[in-house]
Amino acid sequence: MRDGISIARLGIPSVALVTEDFWPQGDFVAQSLGMPSAPRVRLPHPVAGTGTNNLRHVAEQIVDEIIGALKVRPAA
Amino acid sequence: MLEAGDEAEALEQLHEMGCTDGLPVVVPTPERVDRMVLASGLEADLVLGEMGPGMGVATVEKVATAAVMAGCLPDYMPLVVAAVRGVIDPAFDLTEMQATTHCTAPLVIVNGPARQTCGPVASGFGALGPGHRANATIGRALRLTMINIGGARPGSSDMALLGHPGKFTYCLAEDEEHSPFPPLHVARGFTPDDSVVTVIGAEAPHSVLYSGNADDPDDAEKLLQMLAVGLANMATNNAVLTGGSAVVVLNPEHAEIFAHANMNRETVAKRLWELTHLSVADLERYAAAFAGIRGDAETYPAFPSPEHILILMAGGSGLYSMVMPSWCAGKHKNSAVSVKVESDQFCEIPGLAAVTESPSTEQ
Repeated sequence: MRDGISIARLGIPSVALVTEDFWPQGDFVAQSLGMPSAPRVRLPHPVAGTGTNNLRHVAEQIVDEIIGALKVRPAA
Repeated sequence: MLEAGDEAEALEQLHEMGCTDGLPVVVPTPERVDRMVLASGLEADLVLGEMGPGMGVATVEKVATAAVMAGCLPDYMPLVVAAVRGVIDPAFDLTEMQATTHCTAPLVIVNGPARQTCGPVASGFGALGPGHRANATIGRALRLTMINIGGARPGSSDMALLGHPGKFTYCLAEDEEHSPFPPLHVARGFTPDDSVVTVIGAEAPHSVLYSGNADDPDDAEKLLQMLAVGLANMATNNAVLTGGSAVVVLNPEHAEIFAHANMNRETVAKRLWELTHLSVADLERYAAAFAGIRGDAETYPAFPSPEHILILMAGGSGLYSMVMPSWCAGKHKNSAVSVKVESDQFCEIPGLAAVTESPSTEQ
């Protein structure tokens, strides 16, 4: 989240990938850094270690959402 | 009965008398203690047993006093009573454990419906950390009984060289709802509907880092090897003194790695037991004074049996599981003791019951 917000502040499109279990923390960080609408996409949890096939499957499911989020300019 | 002009004065008195753990306590006024006794549904003067090394008599009233001081809600009383019964069990070796120079504290593991009805006792993110009232105060109440009934005071009767932070409180529930294994208490002979408190003298949690890889056919075996290193490396009492128990708290991801490999609690414990067979030569090199007679064998088991390795699932999902080696001394070698929670007699106190119903297992 912090990286995504820092990059967005530079005017560069960014999106944070946040897994389900860490979604509340993502909200918290976005709020505390003053960019509550920082673009983020929800991933299932866990992703790490779940194998190449699953990573491909997750990527296919969220790629459009990521592209969509990158088109949104966040407030602040 | 102590007397004081006000609560602040009473608190200072309790600190001066060595009746606290160093943090502020709720002043145990007769009214507060009476309400806590009432919540237990037990007679105030019912004797639960003696607590060493001071050999104080643990009555329900004294335990209730500790629960008040710790900040417990009355709802928690059946769990506090069960935990006290657990450490009083001779198999727990309380007197020796309280007096040892080792860093050991009773880890309180809660299973069954009482996780909610007498809690909620947290089992998810940060279950052993701050922010969960039941976890914080149930473990603290047990510690206050060990101080005020058992007489354990640092440097005179509690000789732990450093102790560890779990001596303030050390309590969590198992995340039964998300675990791929049956609950710990079922593995220890109880039914799923029983509520059970298991206590074991344990070191502080040691983190075991393992990043899984579902594409690796040796994923589960590698995780087992890492857990085994943490459980019984040559610097632990389990490796040197042997004969005791230890605890493995799997995080959900690590538990899933075992489930994915078609392993259950028993097969995980058996493999950990095998992997904690250690080199006699290493023992003689690093701990000759404790090596004893090992015969002609090249290896020896750190644990008497797989059942001596307690496995449960708790915590948030990620890379870290925890292992808690133990002291491995005392007559019973630091056994784990499980006690069924008697909540039949529990009396709900109007206006004092827990107002929160949030699940303890949310991730």
